[in-house]
Amino acid sequence: MKLTEDDLYRTSTQFKHWSFTPSQLAAQRLQTNIQASERVKAAVQRQRAQRAKQLDPASASESDRNGTPVPLDREVNCLTVAEEKKLVDTFCEKAIELGGFFKFPIEVTATGIQFLRRFYLFNSPMTYEPQTISRSAMFVANKTEGHHMPLEKYAAGFPKATSEQVLAPEYLLVQALRFNFDIRHPFRALKGGHLDMIEMARGNAYTFASHILKTAALLTDAYFLYTPSQIWLSAHLLADELLTLFYLSTRLPPSSPLHSKTLTTLRSCAALLSSHHTFTSPTTSAADKAAKDKKEKEEVQLLIKKLRQCRDPDKLDLVKLNQAQKRDAVDGEGLEEKKAKRRKLEREGYQKEADSFWGPELPRRENGAGGK
Amino acid sequence: MSKAASRANGASTKRLAEDGDICPVCKSSRYLNPNMRFRVNPECYHRMCESCVDRIFSHGPAACPIAGCKRTLRRARFREQTFEDLKVEREVDIRKRVARVMNKTESDFETLRDYNNYLETVEEITWNLILKIDLEATEKRLRLWEEAQKAEVESINSTVSRRLHTATDTVDPQSDTARVILKKSGVQRKALGPSSANTPEPGAMDTGLKDTGFTFAGLKKRVAPEPEKPFDPYGGWNIEPQYYTVMDDYDVDFISGAKTDVHHLAGGYDIRDFYSRALCEAFSGFGVFVEEEVIARENQASGDVGVGTQTAATVADGGKEVNMDDIF
Repeated sequence: MKLTEDDLYRTSTQFKHWSFTPSQLAAQRLQTNIQASERVKAAVQRQRAQRAKQLDPASASESDRNGTPVPLDREVNCLTVAEEKKLVDTFCEKAIELGGFFKFPIEVTATGIQFLRRFYLFNSPMTYEPQTISRSAMFVANKTEGHHMPLEKYAAGFPKATSEQVLAPEYLLVQALRFNFDIRHPFRALKGGHLDMIEMARGNAYTFASHILKTAALLTDAYFLYTPSQIWLSAHLLADELLTLFYLSTRLPPSSPLHSKTLTTLRSCAALLSSHHTFTSPTTSAADKAAKDKKEKEEVQLLIKKLRQCRDPDKLDLVKLNQAQKRDAVDGEGLEEKKAKRRKLEREGYQKEADSFWGPELPRRENGAGGK
Repeated sequence: MSKAASRANGASTKRLAEDGDICPVCKSSRYLNPNMRFRVNPECYHRMCESCVDRIFSHGPAACPIAGCKRTLRRARFREQTFEDLKVEREVDIRKRVARVMNKTESDFETLRDYNNYLETVEEITWNLILKIDLEATEKRLRLWEEAQKAEVESINSTVSRRLHTATDTVDPQSDTARVILKKSGVQRKALGPSSANTPEPGAMDTGLKDTGFTFAGLKKRVAPEPEKPFDPYGGWNIEPQYYTVMDDYDVDFISGAKTDVHHLAGGYDIRDFYSRALCEAFSGFGVFVEEEVIARENQASGDVGVGTQTAATVADGGKEVNMDDIF
């Protein structure tokens, strides 16, 4: 029984559950967007109706004092698919900065970013705020990549986040990932390819390609659309085209039918990577780049403002939601009276059962060992 | 006074002896010696107290002191009796002895009927021994059977060990350590030597000609167990690279440190593992064209109904079955 490298990749969850065609990806994003906007609209409407009922006897000016984000009579202006994607991309970029701040190895940051992208494929930023989710995603990535960072230390790195806020969306996130934690990165692959190529040439192609992998490859949909092997080869194609083409021809003879197919795939992947705004070819000037970055920043600022207008009101406080699901720790009205009572009785029953099994509690000794 | 007393108490003494409180050899009673313990010898099953056993048999085998019994007993065989009734004690001993020799199980026979016939034979010879019918002939048959069984087991063991030896020899034909071990373990070789010399070759041995005491219809022949295959952690799978070949060494800056670093080497780190892993990752998925394969997968999934891949596909698709918001 033989296994080739391709078969190995086909067994991974990344291929099984997280590889898509561009059209599938677009369809999925559209669906997520539609569902999320419907939810937001319905929730806001419900809240308005409730408030209207409450405020009916009171004066109409009360509503201004409440500081509601959405004026009463206007339809909620939801984000579009493109805007959502842009937001997610922005927060992925911020996640890179976050990884740099905590001095995480690139694998951890990259895994965190891919977690984030996978999460927002099926959830909308309108439902769950990207900032909270990205904090949690990075923490989960820390654990999956075996990079030990205690929760307290991690949470202390943020000025405004508590450890509960980091942990609260954790289960939500992991569930959205379908418990697929394995992410195949092209970093070691690039090193392997470099090993192989080093016999042929010496240049700084490696540095440039690895930079592309650490930025543009993470921030685009490359992981969904291509395999790690194709990603690193395209990055290398961007870095040193002649060498890569020559290398390819040594690995895959040009006469084989796969050669042209592979090359078109690599070219399209390279096009995707170079389309990202962080990609700078050696020819672009610094001023050009600065202007591009500034424009980007302004757009993002606008989007964040817009996001505040159309957040799903049900999902604002994730910490409370998480607590409500776990235990009746929420004060009073979080749970129905009856449910809380039943749970309390059940807990007492379990306690009693455990006690009867292990026998009654031992009498406490006075003054420890010197009690004689 | 004492004589008169003993004569007067004659009847009660006898009863006491029957009850087991007076030693039939030295006549001391439990009344005088509360720690007295009785022993029996499975040769004749006569009871006597421990001090008598020590006294009579401490200098080697001697005849049984009970009148009318002339069997030679050894001290080592004396033991405490388990059952009150000595007849039961004897029967249990006989059954134990027979069961040790006649130790076939149902799986050794072709049919249940054969097995039942075997059991019937076993019971018959057991009762022969208990009731002392045809004692000598039965004993002889039993002994023959035991020897035949032993020879059979030994021949199988020798084939297994021979197989083992040839296997190690082929692995390492001129290993010095193997020879040294053989030289040292002369005892072991001696033990092996005569047994292999005495027992004829398994092919040449013809049990039909020799008298084995018993013949049972439908008894399966013992076969040597299959040699154990070496453990394969991958279950027969192996990775055969399509696009690359791993070389023995690469001269690259970023790994030159790890090659000589004692921190890496102390733990048994082999840089070649890194080479093969990195190269495998470099080309895993090289020939996987996501767009095509995903579409093919979709088509297949929609083709066959109710298969796990379909649900997986819908999950990957983000179908409506998965509701991400309601956790419980």
